[in-house]
Amino acid sequence: MESLGNRLSTLLAIAWLLPLFGFVVEVFAMSWPNANRKSKAAAYFAIFCIGFGFVCSSIAFYEWGNGTDWAVFKAVDHGHGEAATATEHGDHAAVGHADHEHKAVTHETPKQTVFAGTFYNLAQFGNLKVSLDYYIDSLTLAMFVMVTLIATCIHIFATGYMAEELVNDYVDHQVHTHDGGHFHRPGRFYKFFSYMSLFCFAMLGLVLAGNIFQVFIFWELVGICSYLLIGFYVERHSASTAANKAFIVNRVGDFGFIIGLMILWTSFGTFSFADQHGTDGKVQPGLFSMARGHDGELAKTTDGKTVVLKTEQDGHGHWEAPAEPSHQKTITYTLLIVAGLGVFGGCVGKSAQFPLQTWLPDAMEGPTPVSALVHSATMVAAGVYLAGRFYPMFVPEVLLTIAYVGCITAFVGATIAIVATDIKKVLAYSTISQLGYMMLGLGVGGWGAGLFHLVTHACFKSLMFLCSGSVIAGCHHEQEMPKMGGLLRKMPITALTMLVGVMAIAGLAIPGTSIAFSGYHSKDAILATALAYTKLNPIHFLLFVVPLLTAGITSFYMFRLWFYTFLGKPRDQHLHEHVHESPWEMTGPLLLLAVLAAGCAIGGEDGKLFKMLTFSQPVGVADGVDGAAAHTVSLPGHTAIHESHSTAGSAALLAAFIGMSISYLVYGKGVINPADIKRQAASVHAFLANKWGFDDLYDVMFVKPAHVVAKFAAAIDKFVFDEILHTFVRMGIAVSKWDRKFDEGVIDGIVNLMGNSTYSLGISLRNVQTGKIRQYVTFIAVSVVTLFVLLFALYPKG
Amino acid sequence: MEPTPDKFLFISAVLFVCGVVCMTTKRNGIGILMGVELVLNAANLNFITFSRFTPLGLDGQVFSLFVIVLAAAEAAVALAIALNFYNNHLTIDVDRGDELHG
Amino acid sequence: MTAEIILFWLFAFLTCAGAILVAVSQNVVRMAFSLVLTLGSTAVLFLLLGADFVGATQLLVYVGGTLVLLVFGVMLTATGPFTRIKSSPADAILSGLIGVVFLFIVASTVTAVPWVDSEDGNDISQKIKIGTHTKSAEGGFNPAQQGNTTRPLGLSFLSLRADRDLKLGLPSELSAESNTAPVVPGASVVMPGVTPPPKSSVPPSTGYLLPFEIVSVHLLVVLVGAAYLARTKRRATT
Repeated sequence: MESLGNRLSTLLAIAWLLPLFGFVVEVFAMSWPNANRKSKAAAYFAIFCIGFGFVCSSIAFYEWGNGTDWAVFKAVDHGHGEAATATEHGDHAAVGHADHEHKAVTHETPKQTVFAGTFYNLAQFGNLKVSLDYYIDSLTLAMFVMVTLIATCIHIFATGYMAEELVNDYVDHQVHTHDGGHFHRPGRFYKFFSYMSLFCFAMLGLVLAGNIFQVFIFWELVGICSYLLIGFYVERHSASTAANKAFIVNRVGDFGFIIGLMILWTSFGTFSFADQHGTDGKVQPGLFSMARGHDGELAKTTDGKTVVLKTEQDGHGHWEAPAEPSHQKTITYTLLIVAGLGVFGGCVGKSAQFPLQTWLPDAMEGPTPVSALVHSATMVAAGVYLAGRFYPMFVPEVLLTIAYVGCITAFVGATIAIVATDIKKVLAYSTISQLGYMMLGLGVGGWGAGLFHLVTHACFKSLMFLCSGSVIAGCHHEQEMPKMGGLLRKMPITALTMLVGVMAIAGLAIPGTSIAFSGYHSKDAILATALAYTKLNPIHFLLFVVPLLTAGITSFYMFRLWFYTFLGKPRDQHLHEHVHESPWEMTGPLLLLAVLAAGCAIGGEDGKLFKMLTFSQPVGVADGVDGAAAHTVSLPGHTAIHESHSTAGSAALLAAFIGMSISYLVYGKGVINPADIKRQAASVHAFLANKWGFDDLYDVMFVKPAHVVAKFAAAIDKFVFDEILHTFVRMGIAVSKWDRKFDEGVIDGIVNLMGNSTYSLGISLRNVQTGKIRQYVTFIAVSVVTLFVLLFALYPKG
Repeated sequence: MEPTPDKFLFISAVLFVCGVVCMTTKRNGIGILMGVELVLNAANLNFITFSRFTPLGLDGQVFSLFVIVLAAAEAAVALAIALNFYNNHLTIDVDRGDELHG
Repeated sequence: MTAEIILFWLFAFLTCAGAILVAVSQNVVRMAFSLVLTLGSTAVLFLLLGADFVGATQLLVYVGGTLVLLVFGVMLTATGPFTRIKSSPADAILSGLIGVVFLFIVASTVTAVPWVDSEDGNDISQKIKIGTHTKSAEGGFNPAQQGNTTRPLGLSFLSLRADRDLKLGLPSELSAESNTAPVVPGASVVMPGVTPPPKSSVPPSTGYLLPFEIVSVHLLVVLVGAAYLARTKRRATT
């Protein structure tokens, strides 16, 4: 078993570190002054790195499956279960989670499925151990395979998309110089791929991380990659502003993340997810063991205000709270809520959740492959991933917050997407909306559903972004949909693959059969969970109604996008004439991703992907949680969720079809002129086009006050501190003036006086030195006479 | 009227003072040399006087002999210098030889 | 008034007059002549003081040698209008003033000194007379054969102090206590009968052999140096 863990960690480490190697090579080798800027070597190297990473991830997945006897797919079919099977599964997950490091206690599952360990110890400050750990379970593996696969596709796509950078003198037509010309610079092809490699490294490191601190490190690294890639066209003012915005908004979320980290460290004393084997053979419990133990229950005290951490192992190796109060390590329940909210704050920032969603649309300033990889498929998914990974630490209150935040985000994003005209902006808002879905799914207890949607969304959203990239490249960087139209004939592959993506995100399926696009399955899972949740907690009915409505809206605006772009008559004839289908290195990935988007979720909740993900499900999720008191919420168990499946699925499908139909009527057939609607609901349209006024709100709430404060601070600086400093300086100047006078008058005067007197003495004595010998004799004579006179005058008589 | 020591010494003093005055007034280099000779003679006269009137005895005469010898030597060298001076300045006026004035 | 006194006053006057003439004369030839007068008179004064060898040397070396040298110098350098180089009256007045003051000081010093014997307090001029050969002459060098100083001087240059250690040249009465044998004038130092002074007395006086040698070498060097210096050299300006 140990060897399997070693093999897995080695394989994943290779997959993780290869992009870093690629980054280093690309940055240093390609930025060589004589490097050929027309060479595609950087792209090929980057593709090799990430592609090899995909191979390694796949092998690791296979090894893991073999090592666990493919228990993941043999897992008890929880979907159709009675209560008993659900419990059984609960045991399953419990064992998989709590007993991963030491010998399995229950004889039912002797195979180890979770592997954790340490790559390298960075530092140790007292109890604080900072190390590079790994934590490998089925979620990690799934994420690895998904990230490397999509990244490979996008890398290949980018080879074609970024080809225009393969010049020594790139003219940026969106940057105007003072003399009316355009900005010229060397092509940055290699730089793009080096950033992409660095991003892949950071993302994979984040997924592989075995402790929350390591997650934070790679979290920030992902952020900086995002910053670099959004600001890739740094000379464009909009791009540099968007990069700053993304970075700063993410800092807001990261602030919460740091607070959460500090609370966790103070209360738990460790960052590690998994249990740590000390050198003395002792086992230190990880975060998950301490919080949830083997049964997934928080060990609350009777008054419910304090949680006792499970720091002792019982006879079965289960972590239990010590009975002895003096041995107990406790955390206030409120503090646990704050910690959870803090960490979730980081997720909000990274995953562009309400209220920090504003950066994501602006991030579309980056090249389209960046939007596809970073801002739809992976980086923004990191927030959802972390929320999923950190799930055991979230108490129901936090989960409720997550659910509502996700719900609001989904709705807001979807509504804005209706009115957006920029093709990439539509996709960006749809990304926000879908991320809201995932958070909602996690929040209402659908751990598997949320992450399920994460993976499927990554597939079809990257597909759609790449399609939009293909369209943009074909239309010579025209992104406005009103200027497009009728592109189906010009670029059929792009149009059809895009249609697949649109149907996937809309969640279409053939009713009555199991044939469905991936989006249907994942969205269905989320909605079913939400429905079950609202059944348990009727007061939170909005958590089902709003997502259902959003599903319809999603279907509407996605088909709007497709009809607008690919059907109808060309609205800009000149543009239309020059449109061409993209080369194979762009359409190839499209086709591959289209297959994935359509079929990655085959089987739905009985499919391999969902089973794979839910295999790592935290303890106790499947059982659901009964809100004991009136003010607490209940989480639905798997059984309850399954019961809601048919209802939720039908409702979602219905909503999707309605949305599609309206869209077809409005944009496909032109039965209703959208301009009329726009006129009639001008204020609504303006409100939506203004992105619900979030930017204005933030401008008024934060930017303007910040400016006021800054002005005030500047005034204080200018009129108080500067004055004080200036006074000091003036005093100094005055002192030095006096000092100078003193120096010049007194010190110099003394020195000059000495010099002058010596000089004048010399001048006067010089006159004595006549050189005339007779005078010298006279002097002698006079001197002798004088001496005699003095002798006579002074020598005592007698 | 007896030729007492003080009379000899007075003569010596007159010689000495005349020598000094000679040295200070004469612009002729030879004249200065003569003044020097007078001063030396004054010293010699003193030596001889003390040799006669004091227990100094023969030593005074010995010293006066040395003084004569040295005066002769001095005269020879000084005359050579005077000749050189004359060669260089075409005059024996010592006031012209003030190149070393300050 | 004895002849010695007359001679003394005569040559004293000549000496002083010659010296003053040297000082006041503006003609270098006259100065030279006056100098001859002064030096010659001084030589006579030396003879009067009983220093016959020194007086003779004065005449020979000074009057006969040095002055001839000076006159040669005068002749060699006195060309045309530069023969007479006048001093300025201011110089003369200043120098004369200094000279008068100087003379006054020295004269007053000389006259203020009481010339008495340090042992008995008698006036020394009463004991020692110029040109006399009194036995009572004490303290000063007053050899028996007055004026015959050539031999003692020569001996002193050979490091023999005839006047001190051998009591040579002293009256026999004065040396009778120490010397039983008769003193033979002109006897050499190795002659028999001359006994060394008692051991208990002061150590032998120093002679002048070494200074004599040094002066001899000095003279030689000066001779060579003077010849070198006086050599006619090609003037740089011509």
